[in-house]
Amino acid sequence: MSAESISVIKLRGLLLVTVPADPDDRTVSALQERVLEAMAEHESGGLVLDISTVQTLDSFFARTVVETVQMVSLMGGRTVLAGMRANVAVTVTQLGLSMGNTLTALDVDRAIDMLNAEASKGLRV
Amino acid sequence: MRREPKATSKSKATVLGSEDSFRMLVEGVTDYAIVMLDPEGHVVSWNPGAERIKGYTRDEIVGKHFSCFYPPEAIKRGVPEKELKAAIKHGRFEDEGWRVRKDGKQFWASVVISALRDKAGKLRGFAKVTRELTERRRNEEQIRILNEQQQTILDASPTMIFYKDRENRFIRVNESFARANGRSKEEMEGKTCWDIYPRETADNYWQDDKEVMSTGQPKLDIVERMETQKGTMYVQSDKIPYRDLEGNVIGVIGFTLDITGRKQAEERIQQQSREIMELSTPVMQVWQGVVVAPLIGSLDSQRTQQFMERLLDRIVETNSPVALVDIMGVPTVDTQTAQHLIETVAAVRLLGAQVVLTGVRPAIAQTLVHLGIDLSGIITRSSLSAGLLVAFEVLNLQVVSKSASR
Amino acid sequence: MNDLQQGEFPIESENDIVSARRLVRNAAVAAGFGLTDVTRIVTAASELTRNIYVHAKSGVMRWRFLKSESKVGLELTFEDSGLGIPNVAKAMEAGYSTGNGLGMGLPGAKRLTDEMTVHSEVGKGTTVVVRKWLTK
Ligand SMILES: Nc1ncnc2c1ncn2[C@@H]1O[C@H](COP(=O)(O)OP(=O)(O)O)[C@@H](O)[C@H]1O
Ligand SMILES: [Mg+2]
Repeated sequence: MSAESISVIKLRGLLLVTVPADPDDRTVSALQERVLEAMAEHESGGLVLDISTVQTLDSFFARTVVETVQMVSLMGGRTVLAGMRANVAVTVTQLGLSMGNTLTALDVDRAIDMLNAEASKGLRV
Repeated sequence: MRREPKATSKSKATVLGSEDSFRMLVEGVTDYAIVMLDPEGHVVSWNPGAERIKGYTRDEIVGKHFSCFYPPEAIKRGVPEKELKAAIKHGRFEDEGWRVRKDGKQFWASVVISALRDKAGKLRGFAKVTRELTERRRNEEQIRILNEQQQTILDASPTMIFYKDRENRFIRVNESFARANGRSKEEMEGKTCWDIYPRETADNYWQDDKEVMSTGQPKLDIVERMETQKGTMYVQSDKIPYRDLEGNVIGVIGFTLDITGRKQAEERIQQQSREIMELSTPVMQVWQGVVVAPLIGSLDSQRTQQFMERLLDRIVETNSPVALVDIMGVPTVDTQTAQHLIETVAAVRLLGAQVVLTGVRPAIAQTLVHLGIDLSGIITRSSLSAGLLVAFEVLNLQVVSKSASR
Repeated sequence: MNDLQQGEFPIESENDIVSARRLVRNAAVAAGFGLTDVTRIVTAASELTRNIYVHAKSGVMRWRFLKSESKVGLELTFEDSGLGIPNVAKAMEAGYSTGNGLGMGLPGAKRLTDEMTVHSEVGKGTTVVVRKWLTK
């Protein structure tokens, strides 16, 4: 699973990043780099991390995800974690990891709706 | 014994001295009947032992044919003649069998008949030595009957029973045991465990046997699998040391029960309790995007764990952003279950859904506060219907009364 | 099938963590564990192989099927000859890390499995054994 295989798609002012199923540590680190670069490049306000294929989310992977969310936030963007598998959610919780205040959604569709709703709210302010 | 009479009968003059001493010896013997017969089988000499055992005095019997010592049916079959012929042919004949006393009573006798020949090889007669073995015979018979009775009892027992020696060899097995192994008793006896079972299984059994033999203590309630020609059985065995009369351990005796049926029943019960558990924690979709999970009964760790997995699976399956977990039917909540509930809420949140905890009765609310459990991050409502309203709010739905809308 | 029943795998590079996860996943599936348990076991293995790579540089992972009369299970052993852990009790606390980890690896692996033992000698190395039983 190489870093190049991470797909980053721009979609209606949002970025959609699909996380590979079983990435090695280098790919996980590369993911963070790519996401931050893309956020800067597209001046995007929202990020959807699609983790629906991820089978194992250990503490290293989880920490990188949480860090990425925090960094994106510092750059003025909102992140939604989408599609975590039920067994992964059970395991992550039991492992004792908290994903902080990271927004979550059942799937990519709902994640996009969520970010769009946030954006319109933001406009009103 | 065989040569000496031969020598005496042959050269009377030269060995007269030894003949005298021999006669004294024979006269002194009372445990054996020592009788000389002529070549035709007539009695020529008679010792006190013969008198004691057979009841005739010397005067009564000398000159009579020795067939009078045999039971009538043996005489009919020509046994006395055959025995003499055998002695002539082989020099010596041995037999055990019933013989008759003067009073008609029979006794069990061990008989040795030796042919006596002179130097030229001419038959001069026979020496017949008889020992009375009725007592021994009776004991043997007794033991045989006891053994048979014991085997009958063993074979009637539904318990599988076996005796093994120190070499792991079956010395004796009962019918149940042989049948369970799909073999006959004869096929099993004399064989070792290794001849009968797969290596690993046999080694396992042998391990227990060695323990029983070395400690001299019984080993009870050994539950294990038994691989037989007929398939796998679950068995429960008691093994006790097998001792000889002096108390030395010479093997083990095993008593084995087939518990396959019980084991299967246990497994069925486990299976049923799993099914009941699933039934008792249903997760139902009540609206597009809303699942409801009423928890009923006390929550142990295992049950909550399974509930959590089912709830998460159903949320993903039905793509529901809201899950109402109703604990109205839960009698008590302890720290542990509260912890599981908090974990469930956290896991559901990771999926991208929300839990609304409903049916929090006053008693439970009190307990939770007293236990210092922080549920502040969790949306709670006292009733399921109040929870449903929260769900609709999350889904951006509004409940409007029909009359109001008109 | 036999190489699934037991085996060992050296942990020497970052890539080996991914391979170890895959091996453990196959073994756990073959042992008959359900999806969530497989995920638990694989996640624990991921934590413990990473500990070898990060804290001891290299080591070995072994797996073995467990079979008794009433239950079956999977045993994983993680062994290295690194620096060892001076205070195992401390290392088992959630959030304790001497590196820049989250400090959730050891306590997390314990929670995800049914049995866990840690043997460590400073200067000699560390052996962690975890077991998961299949509740039939
Ligand atoms: N195999 C090991 N060899 C040496 N030290 C170890 C090993 N595994 C764990 N440790 C020590 O235990 C601590 C806690 O481990 P862990 O809970 O996995 O957290 P983390 O790896 O995130 O630091 C580590 O920081 C390290 O000091
Ligand atoms: Mg670690």
